[in-house]
This record gives sequence, C-alpha cells and structure tokens, in this order.
Amino acid sequence: YPTRPVDKEKAEQELVINIKKATNPDETAPKQKHVRKCIVYTWDYHSSISFWTGLRVQPILADEVQTFKALITVHKVLQEGHPITIKEAHGQTGWLETCARTVGHETPRGYGTLIRAYVQYILAKLRFHRLRPEFNGLFEYEEYVTLKGVDDPNEGYEIISDLMGLQDQIDSFQRMIFAHFRHSANNECRISALVPLVKESWGIYRFITSMLRAMHRRTTDTDALEPLRTRFSSQHYNLRKFYYECSNLKYLTSLINVPKLGQDPPNLMDKGAAPDLP
Amino acid sequence: MSTLQHFGKGALRVAKNYTKGYSDTQAKVRDATSNDPWGPSGTQMNEVAQMTYNQNDFVEIMEMLDKRLNDKGKNWRHVFKSLTLLDYLLHAGSENVVIYFRDNLYIIKTLKEFQYVDEYGKDLGANVRQKAKDITNLLQDEGRLREERRTRAHMRDRMVGRSP
Repeated sequence: YPTRPVDKEKAEQELVINIKKATNPDETAPKQKHVRKCIVYTWDYHSSISFWTGLRVQPILADEVQTFKALITVHKVLQEGHPITIKEAHGQTGWLETCARTVGHETPRGYGTLIRAYVQYILAKLRFHRLRPEFNGLFEYEEYVTLKGVDDPNEGYEIISDLMGLQDQIDSFQRMIFAHFRHSANNECRISALVPLVKESWGIYRFITSMLRAMHRRTTDTDALEPLRTRFSSQHYNLRKFYYECSNLKYLTSLINVPKLGQDPPNLMDKGAAPDLP
Repeated sequence: MSTLQHFGKGALRVAKNYTKGYSDTQAKVRDATSNDPWGPSGTQMNEVAQMTYNQNDFVEIMEMLDKRLNDKGKNWRHVFKSLTLLDYLLHAGSENVVIYFRDNLYIIKTLKEFQYVDEYGKDLGANVRQKAKDITNLLQDEGRLREERRTRAHMRDRMVGRSP
C-alpha cells in the first residue's frame, strides 16, 4: 500500500544490506542513511517483521561494537518507524535479552556494560508502550492524550509517574555513557547513542510539562500534586545538565539541535503551551 | 568548479533525459533539482507547480521528486533543491501535493538527520536538515499551511489583475 513508487522485492533486498551496513564492525555511529532506510521501510509496508528478521540473521552478537550499533538502530527504528514497529517489538524481547546475555563483562572495548544497560532501557520503554499504546515512539505531544489523562486525575497521575520513571532511566543510562568515554578514541559510536536519548528525553519532558499544567488547571487540590512537582523540578535540573554536556560534544551538535533548558523549571501553574521542539 | 564544467554537466543531463526515457515533465523536475550550484529558479518552480494540477504530470513529478529526495549524501544538492521545490509546491501547487506528502511525511521527517561531510570536512548536510525541519513543521501545522496557500493564491490573482 505505499503511495510512493516502490518495488517490494527490491526493498526487501536493500533492507538486508542496510541492516548489515548499519551494524558493521567499524567503531563509528551507525550511518544515518542506512538507519533511515530501515525506518522508511516500516512506513512503506506497515510492517517491521523483515527488519527484525534481518537483524536476527546478522552475525552481530559475536562483536560488542556490532551489538551496540544494532541496539542504537533498534532504538531509532522504534522511535521513528511506523507505530506497528513497537507492537511487533513486543515479540522480540527474547532477542534483546540474548544481546545482553551474550556479551561478556570485561570486554576489550568496554561496551559490555553499555549493552546490558541499553537492553534494560529498551525493555523498559517497550513495557511502557505496551501499557500505554497511545504514545508514539518519540512521545510527541498530542493534545488529546493529555486531555484524556486530565479527565481522570488518578490516571493522569499514573501516566506522569510512569513517564518520570522512564526519564530517570534515560538519565542514569546517559550518565553511564559519559562515564565510558575514552580519552584515546573519538567516542563517535558512544556519542551516537546519545542522539535518540536526547530526542526521547525531550519528548517526555514536553509531555510531562504540558500534562502537569493541564492537571493544575483542572484540579482544586494542588497539594495532591506536590510529589510530582518536586520530582519534576529535580528532573528538570538533571536534564538541563545532560543537555549542557551534550552541547559540548561537537559531533552530536552537528547532528541534532540540543534543547537548552532555562535555569529554573517552568511554572506549572502557567497557562503556557508546551515548550517548542528544537 | 568552472562554468564550462557545469555546461558539460548540463549537456550530460540532457543526454540522460533522453537515454533514460524521461518525459518532458520529469526532465523539468530533474533540471530544477540538479547538482548545479544555483537555483531552482522561480520560473522553473512555478512551471512545475502549474503542472501538478494535471493528474498525469502530478504522478510523474512525485515519482521524480521521490527519487531525488532519497538520493545519497554526495548528491546533497539533489535533496536540498528537491526540498526547496517541494516547499514551493506545497504553497503554490495542487492540493494533491499536500495530501501526498502528508501521507508520506516520514520521507521528509527522516531527513532531519541527513548527513554529508565533504572531503574537506565541511558539513554540507546542515542545509538539508534545516529545510527538512521547516517543511515537517509546515506539514504538521494544517492551519498555517492553509493560510499560507490562501495568501499565495491571493497574491497571484492580484498580480495577474484578477479580482480575488
């Protein structure tokens, strides 16, 4: 059903090559042009099965860099691929766990710990999406989802708590990536894992901000929301620091605009709209 | 690059249009989105925009635009100029262009991380990334796009001396 002029057979063949190239053993970022083709494939055919099959048949588990690059690719395809990708990913958790299990603890290039943490994060993300299928892979703000939670304050409270849980996990994972930088290398491969994390944390932050604002407008009992406000505030400072550190990585800022957060968290009693996307 | 070289390239493009059997419509799109370091010109873009109102031409234009938008990094100008042309078409072309690219938004959206660094280490992808971002925002803002299309049509009517 693609309305684009495409050829399914050719697309399948190219997909295999793109997966292979995106996950090759070079210690660099997975090339965006190959990742993009994987994303576009899922939209063209409303399916990600061939993408997952393609990953499984690649001999990537023997090599830590390849495994790490595969996880970055998976993360990006989950974020920007057709929504079906997330649904179909629930059947792939076994493969993801295998990625974490296969890698050793003391690996020569130090990706072992990062791989295990990345798998943990992706699994947490998938659990969230299974529970709340109305969110897309990048948590892009849509008015109706916010309102839905607001009508039922308990539900809204839970959604925000869950989003904050995910945000905390992003935060500890990004810290780990920074801690694994090496002075000798250019760290491009590690830095490229920060790209989807910046985007995702920003989507979550925007969502939480606008949803908390909407809830403050609706409720008369703002005291009940105090725990969320406190947590929001501490996440704001963590995120600000994360973005600040990212903005010093030239390689990263050449790929995406890193958001710049204000010194202090935005006022939640405010009527303002969600912060603008970078 | 010398002008002569570009002249040579232009001749090659004409030959390619012929040997690959591209139609006149497709040749126009190819010209407007070529690797020449200038343009596309307003006249070129306007011509293509008018052609999108014809269903046959529309299909051919989309086909060629799709090819150019998915071109590789070395041909970043193809991609950049296709985005420039697309921006114009969204404003002045047929409504079908808007519908088509809303359906296939991901083609544009995924160009937001387009990368190309030339042999001197110069980042030539930045232009594409910015343009992809602008067009994505425009396509996602129905109200704004509608308003901008109306203003454009208005302006055109006034310029040709028709009352609105």
